[in-house]
Amino acid sequence: MRRIANGNLVLVSAAACVVWIAVWAWITRSGGPVSSLFLPSPGDVVERFGRMWVKPYIGSTLLGHVFSSLSIVLAGWALGGIVGVPLGVAMAWWPRVKWLVFPIFQLIRPVPPLAWIPLTLVWMGIGEPARIFVVFIAALVPWLMNSMQAVGSVDPLLIDAGRTLGASDGKILTRIVCRTALPTLIAGARIALGNAWTTLVAAELLAATAGLGYVALNASRMLDTDVLVVAMLLIGLLGVLLSLLMKLATHVLAPWSLSQQKG
Amino acid sequence: MLEPSATPKLELRNITKWYGPEGTGVLAVDDCSVSVQKGEFVCVVGPSGCGKSTLMTVGAGLEEATHGEILIDGKPAGKPGPRRSVVFQKFALFPSETVAQNIKFGLQMTNVPRDEQERRVQQQLEIMGLTQFRDSYPSQLSGGMQQRVAIARALAMQPEILLMDEPFGALDAQTRTILQEEVQRLSHQMHYTVLFITHSVEEAVYLSDRVIVMSRRPGRIKKEIQLPRDVAWKRGDIEQAAEHPEFIEARREIWALVREEIMAA
Repeated sequence: MRRIANGNLVLVSAAACVVWIAVWAWITRSGGPVSSLFLPSPGDVVERFGRMWVKPYIGSTLLGHVFSSLSIVLAGWALGGIVGVPLGVAMAWWPRVKWLVFPIFQLIRPVPPLAWIPLTLVWMGIGEPARIFVVFIAALVPWLMNSMQAVGSVDPLLIDAGRTLGASDGKILTRIVCRTALPTLIAGARIALGNAWTTLVAAELLAATAGLGYVALNASRMLDTDVLVVAMLLIGLLGVLLSLLMKLATHVLAPWSLSQQKG
Repeated sequence: MLEPSATPKLELRNITKWYGPEGTGVLAVDDCSVSVQKGEFVCVVGPSGCGKSTLMTVGAGLEEATHGEILIDGKPAGKPGPRRSVVFQKFALFPSETVAQNIKFGLQMTNVPRDEQERRVQQQLEIMGLTQFRDSYPSQLSGGMQQRVAIARALAMQPEILLMDEPFGALDAQTRTILQEEVQRLSHQMHYTVLFITHSVEEAVYLSDRVIVMSRRPGRIKKEIQLPRDVAWKRGDIEQAAEHPEFIEARREIWALVREEIMAA
């Protein structure tokens, strides 16, 4: 089983997708076992998608909702990185910073990002800043933990080598430590983005005026299950897309971490 | 030929190194003095864990000695830097840099002019047979190739002193033999000043002008053995050298000293 070539695996996956969609279509056919009230057929979903693409649904078109969700995710995720990476690097590099920050951080870490929503509502209401803040909290933890771990696990021998080659402390940190840590750092960015995405959708369910989570919540109240499925499928697809983009970033930014020994 | 009275290029004077508090910690090196004249190749041999690598680390300036001092041309050597290049047992290449970038790294750090950087990188790639691997990453190379890059990176600095800490210890036997012969050839042509740490008696006899035998921990200097310099049998390959009566005699003498230390441990 483990010896199936990559090309074959793609074929198997594609075939499986076709089968799953066929099963979905069969059980939701008119007169089928599942009512369209609970699960719409694939045809209904595609049709609804087409209509929502051109006609506004609760305030904006589908693209508008997607854009609303994505912009908040990217803002919160980027803020998490801007705060988390320098802090994580500093915590690994200067033990004093770690002593200062780590106790509070350890206390905050087990609190699920969604548990921040009530407090955030009090502080900021239900606008965009509130959602950005909750996403920021969700993204901060993996950003910070991974950068701390990435820098902490750089082989001290490389630092010794740098010193004998005449590198200053600053150059050792930027040219050796941070660059060597880059693959782990990007892995952290990827986890942070995944966290940010799932947290945002959940936050939109509770406090939002636009976005895919907001669409899903409204559709649920109206029993528009076809709209609900459109929103969920988009949430899933965009999550996959974001993850793929981060993989691509590893190829571009840290190609050495993917290369194998030639022999 | 060497002037016996000349100021040594590198001198480790009365080095004592404690790990942990003095008196209650671990005494790794106890009052060791080693000097290397300009153009001399000195090997330190001793049983595993005798503190010979500690001696190297202190000599490179990477750790402070508890007592004693490190002198270059009779003056305190100070922080680690490009006057003393180090080749480590575990290569210590920067994984995020290509072969050429690794070799260039120290040149950039010490502000060597750009065209001179290129010239030296090209030169080292050719000398060490790495030209076709110029743009490879270390993880794509075998251990032997990686150590060639590390040697090239050290030599590109044109250091006054080359420190090598069991550089071939992590390599397979065939690769080790080939690199020993290349280092022999290079040091003979270029007259590098080298302090070389090894546990291999054969390697020490083949490569060096002088062998320093260390005792088991805490490391002390047990004996120094002067070997014939600039003799024809050393310039060939190690197989042939090992058949020469002078080689056999030196190896027997040094091995007897090392064996004493291992058996007494």
